[in-house]
Amino acid sequence: MFRLTGLRLGTLALLSAAAVAYTLSTGFAGLELVTEIAILAMLVVALDLVAGFGGMVSLCHGALMGVGAYAFAMASTAAGMPVLPSMMLAVGLAGAIAWLIGALCAGSQGIYFIMVTLAFGQMAYSFVFESPFFGGDDGLAGISRPDLDLIGIDLNRSRAFAFYCLGALAITLLAAAHILRSGIGRALVGIRDNERRMQALGQTVWLTKAHVFGLSGMIAGLAGVLAAQHVMYISPGLLAWTVSGEALVVVILGGLGTFVGPVLGAAVFVVLRHEVSAITPYWHLVVGLILIAVVMSRANGIFGFVEDSLARLSSRRRHTPAEPVVDGETRDA
Amino acid sequence: MLDVRGLDKHFGAIHVTRDVSLKLEKGERRVILGPNGAGKTTLFNLLVGEIAPDAGTIELAGRDITALSVAQRARLGLARSYQKNTLFDGLTVAENLGLAASVATGTARSILRDCLGLGEVRETVREVADRLHLTPHLDDRVSTVSYGIRRQLEVGLALATRPDVILMDEPTSGIGPEMAHSFHHMLASLPRDLTLLIVEHDMDLAFDVADTITVLNYGEVVFDGLPDAARSSALLKEIYLGSWEDA
Repeated sequence: MFRLTGLRLGTLALLSAAAVAYTLSTGFAGLELVTEIAILAMLVVALDLVAGFGGMVSLCHGALMGVGAYAFAMASTAAGMPVLPSMMLAVGLAGAIAWLIGALCAGSQGIYFIMVTLAFGQMAYSFVFESPFFGGDDGLAGISRPDLDLIGIDLNRSRAFAFYCLGALAITLLAAAHILRSGIGRALVGIRDNERRMQALGQTVWLTKAHVFGLSGMIAGLAGVLAAQHVMYISPGLLAWTVSGEALVVVILGGLGTFVGPVLGAAVFVVLRHEVSAITPYWHLVVGLILIAVVMSRANGIFGFVEDSLARLSSRRRHTPAEPVVDGETRDA
Repeated sequence: MLDVRGLDKHFGAIHVTRDVSLKLEKGERRVILGPNGAGKTTLFNLLVGEIAPDAGTIELAGRDITALSVAQRARLGLARSYQKNTLFDGLTVAENLGLAASVATGTARSILRDCLGLGEVRETVREVADRLHLTPHLDDRVSTVSYGIRRQLEVGLALATRPDVILMDEPTSGIGPEMAHSFHHMLASLPRDLTLLIVEHDMDLAFDVADTITVLNYGEVVFDGLPDAARSSALLKEIYLGSWEDA
């Protein structure tokens, strides 16, 4: 069952403080790093919601992110809608498509679920790639950011945009925590642990899965909107299955179903990519080796390892017998 | 309360349920006996909707539920406990019971409220835990508690949905005589308006608890009557009870 433990809250507080301090003090390159981490973190929180807490390992979350990005771009540029309604439309559309995928895939398990979601993702990618309406291989440019001049914020400045993305990540985490603590979130964990029993108790399993998949799709769609606003240009590559695969790697690296782990994983992954790719073009090899080490260690990612180690330490302390006392003093071992 | 008529099921060439008809009145406690392979668990699977019958109808409180899903039948008040523990091993005992109670109250479908914290759900958890002597284990993770506690919890999950009918599939299988005895008492203390259909191998429990007894053999009802009649039935002695009476 989802628990917002002291360790998780503390880690989130630390990460938030570090992100704010770094964003206030760093230059352009650092701000780009923060923005990239925040957007990737949103995508992986969405994926962790369904994969970590619902056992639905999805390979279409990249496509859902792409749906959000393209819907926003089309609404705000081609249709000329204002930015805020365009964002809402994009998030809603990504959620609706995700709900449909979740409902259709709800009966599939394990590898079959992965394959069906992969098929949906690739269908979306091919459709956008082939369609001149969506700009085909060239993508779409000229995407604008929200105009917050009224409240004195210029989102065309990197620092303001980085804070805007961090704010969106904070809202995403609050929303994800709320979903997981709600009745449907509790039911989701029950379904992950024992789907047959949840049905026997009276839960309509496919509907629960579809609802959570839809909510997760909305978060992925929002990440797509921010990705489009960040680069002000989108291409079909955003929908490719490799984006979903990368998100899955990040979730596993950080800790599947640990809530905080994927955010940590996103930070580690983006920093590694930037730092290692400055030294060698084979940065994927380094990330791959780290992922293999994490998986081989049998720990549930970086954060899972920390949680397990602390739990073991605490258990050992509880079960250590009190030292015998001789004449009022502790006897030396 | 539960009216089963002409239930039939084949698995390929094997005829596992043959024209089974049962009628349980509200509050009735019926025990189903039968040798291994008689089709007792298959009958339960048919009743809760885990498998579909080839023929026949099932009515719950006058409503035809034959075409309904497992979840729909459960929401109408048909609960089930399994022969092999089917629990949420990663959760605590309290969370297991809370989840069952939340599903039954519909709060496990809410996106606004945390179902486990609701007064109604907590009250059900407390009540079921008290009844099944699970209170000292409420905060223990299911994977860490003993087999006997898990068997109790298996029935507890069904009870926590506040059903009208419970199907219990060998509730005392694998537990010691002392715990089985305590389980008899628990069954006897359940509200009399709760209808029970129990598959049981423990003859003492069967005759102790049953208002009526149904015996299945090769998927067919071969006896349906009072416990005293079951004890004196020559057919039953031949197919099932002989070994028990000789013992």
